[in-house]
Amino acid sequence: MLGSWRDNLKGWLRGGRSSSAARQEKLAELFSQFQRVLRLNNRVLDRIADMGTKLGGGYIFDRHYIETACAELSEMVYRMISALNAMSHNRYPELYDAFRAIDHQIQQELAGRVAIPHAEYVMPYDSLGADFVEVVGGKNANLSEVRNQVGLPTPDGFAVTTSAFQDWLEEGGLEEEIALVLARWQRGELSPEETARLVRERLLATPLPRRLEHALRAAAERLVRRLPPARRRLALRSSAVGEDGELSFAGQFRSLINLPPEEVPRGYREVVASLYSPEALVYRRDKGFSEQEVAMAVACQELIPARVSGVMYTQDPRDLQREAVLINAVWGLGGAVVGGEVLADQYLVARRAPYASLGVDIVRKSRRLVPRPQGGTEMVPVPEELQSASCLNPDQVRRLAQAGIMVEKHFKRPQDIEWAIDDRDRLYILQARPLNLGPRMAGLVKDISKVLESYPVIFRHRGSVAQEGIGAGRVFLVRDEADLERFPDQAVLVARHSSPRLARVMRRAAAVLTDLGSPTGHMATLAREYRVPAIVGTGVATRLLAPGQEVTVDARQNVVYAGLVKELTYYELGEESFAETYEYRLLRRVLRKIAPLNLIDASSPDFTPRACTTFHDITRFVHEKAVQELIHGDFSRLSQAGGARKRLQCGVPLELVLIDLGDGLEPEAVGPVVRPQQVASLPLRAFVEGLGRPGLWSTDSVPVDFKSFMSSLTRTFAFSLAGPRYLGQNLAVISRHYANVTLRLGYHFTMIDAYITAEANDNHAYFRFLGGVTDLRRRSRRASLLERILARNDFRVEVRGDLVVARIKKLAREQMEARMRLLGYLVAYTRQLDVKMTNDQEVARAVEEFQRLQEAAERGLDPAI
Amino acid sequence: MDEEKLNILILDDEPIVVRRLKPALEKMGYQVETFTKSEDALARIEEKDFHIVITDLKMEGVDGMTFLTRVKERSPATEVIVITGFATMATTRESFQKGVFDFLAKPFKIAEMQQTVQRAAEKVRQGWARRD
Repeated sequence: MLGSWRDNLKGWLRGGRSSSAARQEKLAELFSQFQRVLRLNNRVLDRIADMGTKLGGGYIFDRHYIETACAELSEMVYRMISALNAMSHNRYPELYDAFRAIDHQIQQELAGRVAIPHAEYVMPYDSLGADFVEVVGGKNANLSEVRNQVGLPTPDGFAVTTSAFQDWLEEGGLEEEIALVLARWQRGELSPEETARLVRERLLATPLPRRLEHALRAAAERLVRRLPPARRRLALRSSAVGEDGELSFAGQFRSLINLPPEEVPRGYREVVASLYSPEALVYRRDKGFSEQEVAMAVACQELIPARVSGVMYTQDPRDLQREAVLINAVWGLGGAVVGGEVLADQYLVARRAPYASLGVDIVRKSRRLVPRPQGGTEMVPVPEELQSASCLNPDQVRRLAQAGIMVEKHFKRPQDIEWAIDDRDRLYILQARPLNLGPRMAGLVKDISKVLESYPVIFRHRGSVAQEGIGAGRVFLVRDEADLERFPDQAVLVARHSSPRLARVMRRAAAVLTDLGSPTGHMATLAREYRVPAIVGTGVATRLLAPGQEVTVDARQNVVYAGLVKELTYYELGEESFAETYEYRLLRRVLRKIAPLNLIDASSPDFTPRACTTFHDITRFVHEKAVQELIHGDFSRLSQAGGARKRLQCGVPLELVLIDLGDGLEPEAVGPVVRPQQVASLPLRAFVEGLGRPGLWSTDSVPVDFKSFMSSLTRTFAFSLAGPRYLGQNLAVISRHYANVTLRLGYHFTMIDAYITAEANDNHAYFRFLGGVTDLRRRSRRASLLERILARNDFRVEVRGDLVVARIKKLAREQMEARMRLLGYLVAYTRQLDVKMTNDQEVARAVEEFQRLQEAAERGLDPAI
Repeated sequence: MDEEKLNILILDDEPIVVRRLKPALEKMGYQVETFTKSEDALARIEEKDFHIVITDLKMEGVDGMTFLTRVKERSPATEVIVITGFATMATTRESFQKGVFDFLAKPFKIAEMQQTVQRAAEKVRQGWARRD
């Protein structure tokens, strides 16, 4: 693709037109490094996108795939850094450090050691997810997943990791001592009670490592500072590894409620000691858990001052045939209902929207658990008028069921949920863990393949599964924003295009189906994050599905059935979820070191090698700096000295620096400034013709709404909205048949690489566009606009998020030139569009407008075309 | 062989592969047995002929190639689908010479495997039709 410039360079060197052959050789070498960066950059981004799609569940892969993909990626990133340093007199040695740090973490993950950055002792909930279960335990992992992915309110808090536990044991010399005590118990020399007492005494007598003590105090202080003064009380709960997973360990460990922040280090030791309670010891022995596997993480959370709290089972375990959510509720804190100390009101609710009430049982509740002012909790009498009143009103019951089903859909298992509602009627999820009905659920379905044969299939194997899973509900067609407003809970979302704007309602959708779209797009990424079953690019969904029709989407087998296939939904709840597999978690964890892009604004002082924390960051940094080297570094100086560097003046507000590798300019172009008609490079000439056509540069000032203006400001972004000049960041490296054009439009570079000769087979053009200012939705509107226009003009287009890559090749010279003019129009037309495109109708309108302008421009150019 | 349900044997030393393939194929109405140790799978095919065998090519212990050779010797009518992490041209050619039905490189789409199995199943059923 990018190879043909070499021939030009060779020819140019042989010709020896310039004074110094050595200089030319150096120029050629530098440009070749630049080309290497570009090629690697594309391959790295491809590979990252590819790894991301594997999380959707549509693929089968093993550890070997993850290892190979990481190794290849790591090598490519390393080579990019080398190429940049080769261009720049080794100006960026720190990149190797950043690379080594990231690569080391990935290697640690692959070796089975969960790499927490800097072996952290505490990790705030906002940075956690289910893939950290090995270091933060089940309770923390599940709850942060509910908070960050399902998007339901949970107490704010942080996890104390298993590293903290291990370091405490190690530094206190406790490991061996505990092992000895446990060995005596296993030999039958000690009772569980004696064992527990010995271990506990030993633990409580051992101080925490100073660094850990400090980390706990600091994290607790930070947490309470985020809370209103009246609510600065905390709760400490166990979050043992293995707890809240397949085995619940329910009620085995200690929780401490209503602590001031300074009590956290002491409380931490208490909770950890409960890992060795008599009940826990016996439970582990009975379940075949090895004591070596035992590791305790702890949850430290804000205490929710609950008016009502309770437990919810998203499927009533007493009767699986009846599809009902079971809710227990008491006044005050929930410890009492969990511990079974008081009677609770009971509510049965339908599992499907609108969550109709199936039964209510109100009991007399004479006592409730409340926080004591001096710390801890106490049971107090319930005021007379509340004793026989229902703890929950119908709206609260409905909201609880809705939240429960959302959590269940995410984890793909019926859930056992602890919840609380505060004085201001806010609902919090305190804990979520699988309700183990697995074998019983699956047992409800005798022979799934036979059952499935009896349901009518609407369509099968159309499009790609973006996220696996089963979802059933009524079809709701989304055509515009207004439809989104009306989206009913647990409906099947059907849309023509896959678009991240659907994210707003996606978490409430039973499943998502689109006619168009790819599994590498933004929406697919979001579906994977939220784990909403999604099939994209079906081509037929909006045509074959009627609004209001009940359907079941099987985004595992890629089938859409008419009607509610109850057996399939049951079957799924009993099946192993892909997200519970080790390979899924491993891939998700390594991707955390690979895929996120933190370095966005190249003009920010934080745009440094040190700030690179992922491979994507490094890739972005290298690409940006490689272009800068080309424009300002040796390449530029050498070309200037050789007289090969010019400035193009083409009557539009865009400054383009030209570097001529040979025969790219007419002989008469001798001065520092070149006019369009003096450009001899075939691809550039056509591109500049397109760029300079009147009518396509929108001259009206762009109305920028306040939100995008602010988002620009906060990211210290200065020029995409400014218009007239682009900071001299635009560069074209050219020869007679070749052009590589880099345009600095907005945050990112638009890159065009083209080779045009009389021989159609050798011709190619490549267009790459990434990102811009403003929010995700608008950015991807621009991506979608580019996609449609380019596809209409015969380009093969791939869109991954807001990265658009378009390729065309092997057309005759005239047709290639027409495509280069098109790219010129497109650059002129789209440069400010993303701030303008406030809704999806704008995209369609812009496509039409562009086509009119394009046709007019082409007519003006040559009526024959 | 049971004319109603087709039997499939899956052998891959990566447990994740067999664990995820099994339910995907069962849902299509096949009877599926899975193995992660080639010795066990080898023993099983001596007891029972399968309609379709899905095997990884590169494994610890008995090589995938040896395994599929034995499968074909014992039961030429069995259709074999090969999965592998790193397919070279040489191994591909060799396995096709042994009469392998098709080849899938890891990682693969579940849907791809389902379609491949479906095609293999059609061939098996056509074989019955010819015999009848």
